[in-house]
Amino acid sequence: MALKTPQEFRQSIADLHLQIYMFGQKIDDYVDHPVIRPSIDCIAMTYELAALPEYEDLMLATSHLTGKKVNRFTHIHQSTLDLSKKVKMQRLLGQKTGSCFQRCVGMDAINALYSVTYDTDQARGTQYHERFKKYVRYLQDNDLVADGAMTDPKGDRGLAPHQQPDPDMYLHIIDRRDDGIVVRGAKAHQTGACNSHEIIVMPTVAMREGDEDYAVSFSCPANAEGVYYIYGRQSCDTRKLEDNALDVGNAQFGGQEALMVFDDVFVPWDRVYLCGEIEFSGALVERFAGFHRQSYGGCKVGVGDVLIGAAATAADMNGAARASHIKDKLIEMTHLNETLFSCGLACSYEGVKMPAGNYQIDMLLANVCKQNITRFPYEIARLAEDIAGGLMVTMPSAQDLADPKIGPIVEKYLVGQGDTPAIDRLRILRLVENLTLGTAAVGYRTESMHGAGSPQAQRIMIARQSNIDHKKDLAKALAGVGKPWDKGKARVPTAVAAD
Amino acid sequence: MTEERQAGPGRRVKVVYCGGCNPHIDRTAVAAELAADGSAVAGSADEPAAGLPADGPAAAESADDPDAGTGATVHLSGCPRACASDHLLVSDDPSTVVVAGELVDGVPTPALELAPTITRKLKE
Repeated sequence: MALKTPQEFRQSIADLHLQIYMFGQKIDDYVDHPVIRPSIDCIAMTYELAALPEYEDLMLATSHLTGKKVNRFTHIHQSTLDLSKKVKMQRLLGQKTGSCFQRCVGMDAINALYSVTYDTDQARGTQYHERFKKYVRYLQDNDLVADGAMTDPKGDRGLAPHQQPDPDMYLHIIDRRDDGIVVRGAKAHQTGACNSHEIIVMPTVAMREGDEDYAVSFSCPANAEGVYYIYGRQSCDTRKLEDNALDVGNAQFGGQEALMVFDDVFVPWDRVYLCGEIEFSGALVERFAGFHRQSYGGCKVGVGDVLIGAAATAADMNGAARASHIKDKLIEMTHLNETLFSCGLACSYEGVKMPAGNYQIDMLLANVCKQNITRFPYEIARLAEDIAGGLMVTMPSAQDLADPKIGPIVEKYLVGQGDTPAIDRLRILRLVENLTLGTAAVGYRTESMHGAGSPQAQRIMIARQSNIDHKKDLAKALAGVGKPWDKGKARVPTAVAAD
Repeated sequence: MTEERQAGPGRRVKVVYCGGCNPHIDRTAVAAELAADGSAVAGSADEPAAGLPADGPAAAESADDPDAGTGATVHLSGCPRACASDHLLVSDDPSTVVVAGELVDGVPTPALELAPTITRKLKE
């Protein structure tokens, strides 16, 4: 099968008849639901750009499994160049959508599992790797979206998975059969879950003895029997139900998260990639997290580009663009944004070829990348709000602007510099609001904090690789620590003595 | 950087070092341990290794090296970035061992176990 068109993607998601719940109701026509549709259109952009020759270099790659061109989101990275193109592709898509485009988690999951299944086979004599390669080929041949499902609800964080009062707090195997396994549990805040053809499940923490039933990785269709989704709310989400684009800020695109429930789901053996090998669960978590921390050095930068552009446009419309402090704030925003991009590229260029044959990012630099992501978008958002001004959160509604009596008053008092009409000024301020406080802030702010692991998770990884002893040796060598000291040479300098 | 040392009565082994910008292990100590063990050493930094891509910095001068591919090679990088082997954690050439910080051919290995592990692999 060739690459899908955006229309084919939308139809293929509709054809899955996913079990989705929102506001306490089952949503059957989810593809055309006003709250959900922008997130589906967002992933559709990954198909649309892939069909355009001007974006092919970033959007497509040559499969090492088939030799055919595939969407980069289904590609196993074959070089450090592939790793850097991944980051650039993500920046591009962040720019085009101004939101989380959701397809990265599946890409990061297949690249993590590719090497972990190989390493597990080498150590344990299992047959996971060939099985998994077959699955990757299936994703590539059919140009599918996969959701990488890692985060369990976790219940009491102080207890191991097998010690939880409710054993379902971590997804686990409840039955091993001749033809496969049966699993139960849930995965929380799953990005793009209701836009995916496939689910790739991974454990969420390094497992210990006693956790064997929780050390499980597998894939299943998104519409597998027993799988259902509870759609997550976003700030200002019901504005999408008001049937006007103005107050939404970005009416075209948006992100999506859901609570994904596995209610005794059967998985055949040919879809199982880890089953009780507790010693490899930690490696899987670290590698997936590493790839996903790299991803943020691309996607958040692209969204940052949009926010910087919105702030600069707001300054133009306010007549403040020539003020030196406004220029300086835009410089600072750009500096922060490009620093994030630098981190994403650096961990790519310093990547290594794994024994499995795929390329993996440099773990230390990927974690540094994500640690900066937990901070810089907040500062960029703060500066954007500073430049935009208070009107961003006090302006009247679209209905007021459209009202025959009130509308002209709104237009009169909210007009911008020169001939900037009020409607355009409100549009750009609503976009800033969308990115910093509204539906897109889920992706640009809180997801920057907690997505791909909360800040402390990166600090643990940074500490593990910080090589402090080497740094101490460098300092001691230059300071002369431990060398003999001749007190007799500690004289007053000649010039001082002469005075 | 390339370095040669006379090994013991065993086979000659070429050691290719990374540049050493931020080593997590003592590379020269590992190489010295190989020499003392009698299993190695001829060493070199810019030198090639059979089985590595020809476009990498470590392979740049391999064609001119008369010893290339004739004996075992140890690529000795100070950290997991594996610069000595042009970012490969394992080589396709069975006579090449790749050390990248506390990894030997991609397998986690404590620093004190690096030289014994390399020696064992060279004998395999």
